[in-house]
Amino acid sequence: MDKLITGIKNFDYILGGGIPVYSLNIVSGAPGSGKTIFVQNIIFNSARSGLKSLYLTTISESQFKMVRHLQGFEFFSDDLLGDKVIYGDLGFVLRKQGTDKALEYLTEMIKKHLPNIVVIDSFKAIRDLFPDEKTFKAFVFDLAAALSIWEITVFLVGEYEEQELTLLSEFAIADGIFHLYGQEEKRFQKRFIRIRKMRGTSFEQGEHLFQISPVGIEVYPRMRPEGKELRYEVKQGRKGFGIPDLDEMLSDGLSEGTITLISGGTGAGKTIFALKFLLEGAEKGEKGIFLSFEEPAAQILNTARHLGWEIDRHLAEGRLDIKFISPVELDVDKHAFEILDMIREKKVERFVIDSISSFENSVSDLQKYKDYLWALGQQLRRRQINTIFTAVNDDPFSSLIVSKTQISLIIDNIIILRYVEDNSHIKKVLGIMKTRGSYHNKDLREYEITPNGISILGKLDRADMLR
Amino acid sequence: MSEFKKERIEHYETLLKEIWTASAKYLGMVSVNLLIERVVWEVSLEYKEIELLQYDQNGISCARIAAGLEENPDLPVQDMFKKFITRYVAILAKLLGHERAEEIKNKLKEEVAGVSFSCREE
Repeated sequence: MDKLITGIKNFDYILGGGIPVYSLNIVSGAPGSGKTIFVQNIIFNSARSGLKSLYLTTISESQFKMVRHLQGFEFFSDDLLGDKVIYGDLGFVLRKQGTDKALEYLTEMIKKHLPNIVVIDSFKAIRDLFPDEKTFKAFVFDLAAALSIWEITVFLVGEYEEQELTLLSEFAIADGIFHLYGQEEKRFQKRFIRIRKMRGTSFEQGEHLFQISPVGIEVYPRMRPEGKELRYEVKQGRKGFGIPDLDEMLSDGLSEGTITLISGGTGAGKTIFALKFLLEGAEKGEKGIFLSFEEPAAQILNTARHLGWEIDRHLAEGRLDIKFISPVELDVDKHAFEILDMIREKKVERFVIDSISSFENSVSDLQKYKDYLWALGQQLRRRQINTIFTAVNDDPFSSLIVSKTQISLIIDNIIILRYVEDNSHIKKVLGIMKTRGSYHNKDLREYEITPNGISILGKLDRADMLR
Repeated sequence: MSEFKKERIEHYETLLKEIWTASAKYLGMVSVNLLIERVVWEVSLEYKEIELLQYDQNGISCARIAAGLEENPDLPVQDMFKKFITRYVAILAKLLGHERAEEIKNKLKEEVAGVSFSCREE
């Protein structure tokens, strides 16, 4: 089936390529939810592809105001008005000539302009102009029939509440229903779009985050774990840290394509271990990305330089990239998708998220966090990317706690960093709790981080240090 | 009106009735009549006389076109009807999607012999 490509970032992906042409779609949502901008974005994008749109306002917003508001968006262009984007006032006809004339006017406008897209905004607002529900229902069915024969994709925009979507007569004729709504989360006022119905195409279900930016509408598809069994080729190779003793403990490094958790208290060196893993890859010509939600890139660079590592060379040669997203700005709905986009684009072999604790803190819904992490893990495994997640252990002297949530199910390898007391000294100790499918050394080894790098020292010989 | 033209109109009326009946099975009478209304409008931009085509829930008739031919005997009836039918099927193909339209096209071919159908607009 032919599709109307909306051109809205990631929205066509959700729809499996676009909106089926000649479909009748309802765009619903409370006032201010972004309905008008959503549809306008589609028609201006379509206009750039040569499609013509007829935008009929009713009694909600004056065309004058609407055009003025749209001018701030990049998708808007004066040049397209009157030629590819034609505005009309259906509300005037309805008020002055009565509801009987509305279909006639619509048909005349279609014959005159031969549009590919027709929008009626607001469709809900014209309900009140009809004497009763029965008459409106008849109009809705006549309208749907009349529009169906003109090879037109239709958008009826209305301030419908979610519970109305199953009750009102106009929804019976809809091929597609897009519901837009807002929600307050921990730190952000968020906007979501949900496809309630879409005939003729499969689509990604659930709520998808969107934002209104100067570009227009940008959608961030919901990441969800796949129900089907994940099948991928298991590689036999190993990928090391370039820290001889640690690689030896891991039987020559981590298995290729696995996910590793490095958990530890603040200052234990999680970031440094993870960074070293990427630098070792870079030395071997493997691309890596370090995604930091904790320390800005400049701080990470300083740390690496202080340890004598050649980070600048790898950055300059494009084998390493450091991305920093402030924990204050971190929005997992948006960034989880962007992370995967970045990995796909850069074709990385090693990847670090420092730390997933920040990821966890940015989500109000713990189940959502687990879903995101699980989905991310699936995607990373499928791409055979060696990944390290770091996680903060709130009690640095605690027993070997991995993380608050039960994420160990998606983790193949676990490395624990912790502090111990020894004769009025604080020492750092490293242990490998788990390596999936391979042998690992079970010793607890002391380590230190000095200007010469990371050194793994001797085995911890006093068991009572773990108490 | 010449006997030949009268025969041609009768022939096309038979075709249109068959098309109407075959399409109504798939689309229902309301949609078929709306589609005819659209095609009449499009063809009327070239042949005003197509507006004399009568159609309602009971079917389709060329009686008024035949009567109008008495006043305008030079009307290229064949071209007008061919354009009508070709356009009708082309729109149908687009609206139903090409796979479904292929089925209808074959069905029409069975029922309406001798007309060339194109699912895509030239």
